[in-house]
Amino acid sequence: MKTRITEMVGIKYPFILSGMSWISVPKMVAAVANAGGLGILATGPMNAAQTREAIREIRSMTDKPFGANASLMFPGAAENAKVLLEEKVPVINFALGKGDWIVKEAHKYGGKVFATVVNVKHAKRAQDFGTDAVIATGQEAAAHGEEVTSLVLIPHLAENLKIPVIAAGGFADGRGIAAALALGAEGIAMGTRLMTTKESPLHDNFKKLTLEKDVYDTLFSKRFDGILCRVMKTDAAQKAIKKGLNWPAAFFNSQDIAKQLNLPYIKLFLGVLASGYSNSKQLAYLANAFKAIRVATENGDFKEGVLPVGQVQGLIHDIPTVAELFERIAKETKAAQAKVNAALD
Amino acid sequence: MFKTAITEMFGVKYPVICGAMMWLCKPAMCAAVSNAGGIGNLTAANYETEDDFRAAIQETRRLTDKPFFVAITLLPSVRITSEHHKMYVKVCAEERVAGIEFSGTPLDKAAGMEAVELLKKAGVKMFHKVGALRHAQHAEKIGFDGIYAAGIEEGGHPLSDDVTTMVLTPRIAESVKIPVVSVGGIADGRGLAAALSLGAEGVMMASRFIATKECEVHDNIKQELIRRQEFDTVIYGKSIGLQGRGLKSKVLEEVLAIEARNGGFEELIPLLSGQKVKQAWETGDVHYAPLMVGQSIGLIRDIPTCQELLDRMAKEAIEQTQRTAKLCGV
Repeated sequence: MKTRITEMVGIKYPFILSGMSWISVPKMVAAVANAGGLGILATGPMNAAQTREAIREIRSMTDKPFGANASLMFPGAAENAKVLLEEKVPVINFALGKGDWIVKEAHKYGGKVFATVVNVKHAKRAQDFGTDAVIATGQEAAAHGEEVTSLVLIPHLAENLKIPVIAAGGFADGRGIAAALALGAEGIAMGTRLMTTKESPLHDNFKKLTLEKDVYDTLFSKRFDGILCRVMKTDAAQKAIKKGLNWPAAFFNSQDIAKQLNLPYIKLFLGVLASGYSNSKQLAYLANAFKAIRVATENGDFKEGVLPVGQVQGLIHDIPTVAELFERIAKETKAAQAKVNAALD
Repeated sequence: MFKTAITEMFGVKYPVICGAMMWLCKPAMCAAVSNAGGIGNLTAANYETEDDFRAAIQETRRLTDKPFFVAITLLPSVRITSEHHKMYVKVCAEERVAGIEFSGTPLDKAAGMEAVELLKKAGVKMFHKVGALRHAQHAEKIGFDGIYAAGIEEGGHPLSDDVTTMVLTPRIAESVKIPVVSVGGIADGRGLAAALSLGAEGVMMASRFIATKECEVHDNIKQELIRRQEFDTVIYGKSIGLQGRGLKSKVLEEVLAIEARNGGFEELIPLLSGQKVKQAWETGDVHYAPLMVGQSIGLIRDIPTCQELLDRMAKEAIEQTQRTAKLCGV
């Protein structure tokens, strides 16, 4: 397969592993790279030193291009982004903030920068300051999409941008890839599908549960982590959403985060307070969500754990290796395409 | 040239079907879509008496010799009762219309298996508009001929399972043997090509057809659909158990405010009345009543004739497909 994304990055398939906390870890990023796609390392749960270590780990497992993300709203994200630039990571994917400075620095060493967007306005702004491609998140995606669905968002972005569009949300097989390409996308990011592969560090409990869940078994609410977020419909998720923001738990969990990020707690705490009430509230939400997602992915904990997944979980029926998956999807894409060709003959 | 299960089943040029629209899908509009090579829609609830309904079918036939669909919504309302539903089914069978778009309650539950048998015998193709796999499987089991898989992006009343077209179409297509038509989020040839890739045999559009020359609606409405974007629709009605998607407007803001304070049915009904919708279409006041359009309005740029629209969609679909084929090396 050959698109502007495969050409730009130098990969075999235009398939991208979304940067998912505790899933898109070095081993997984390398597996995707070695299978011909682009893996994006999730730096959210890491501090600067851990990020640097993770990049070196990836490089020890693959000589193929890879990426890393920076969710600019998270504490410590700017420091992580600086490490990505110092390490000359081939692709940097920023989200939830303005990444113009990342673009400027990355372009100096020939790096490429992708912006995650949910609307045309943000996408155009990113294009204007030199971003190389956008990842468009449709409503059906795991975690943070907005109301507009992939079917409408992708063509609207594609016709308004000069830079290539990577579709995210609703894709797990060749039928979806062919559809995304028909809508004008040149790459496809997959989270839920790649999470359910042999190499994925997602706990077996949740891999198996993904196979059982159908397209309608997700919840889409602002009450899990403060912004619209899609998660797997489980008792724990329903409970968390019903309860909404739990401040004492946030206070407790944020100490956990400080420990994990190796930040002095007082610095994190004051930093958060200084950012104002609405941002503090947002970060308090995130602190709790962080914990719930971590215990789901790492421990397979059904009682406390909450897993972000896309509606596409209902189209996932097996747990292949990443290489098997990519080969199969490429074959399916051609088959779907051949079928459309025949219908239009 | 298109060749899908839908073009074959009905002998039409394009696998593009007009969806039901109350007050708008009347004989002239219906015939315009069918004459353009698609399949037009005559929405039954526009007619309260058997004579009027039959006259509308006959008028459509005078305007086109091509096949068209009748739409029947199997949900009881103040104006349209289950007696109306039975009358519509009987007239469709007698008039041997090409097909029926059913939505709402499954036909066997609303009108009994004898209604299904009656239509089968008359050769009327039955399609059910669903938002969930289980409803599609039920329709297949009782002998329906096709499924409209309607994603959450559609205007009107998307099912509260909230699954998007991108995910719902392949999920249903892989699970039933009868043809699937994608509904929701489609307004051009790219959407048509995408739907076919996902395993659909055709697409249904409604909002896109409002912004055509033939649609009998005030010009303000057409211009408004060009101006508004894909994020300018909103879901409402969750609190009363019948969610709808409509154009963001003052009246829907009011509806959502009432819902937010658990205002209830009685307070909402005057704002949601069908008669007000009729007036809004006629006077062009988008803030007067809920106008039930889908996210695809973000892809509407102009007001072509139905013929221009369908010819262009076909051309776009072919071009996109050629481009995609090249990208994936077919």
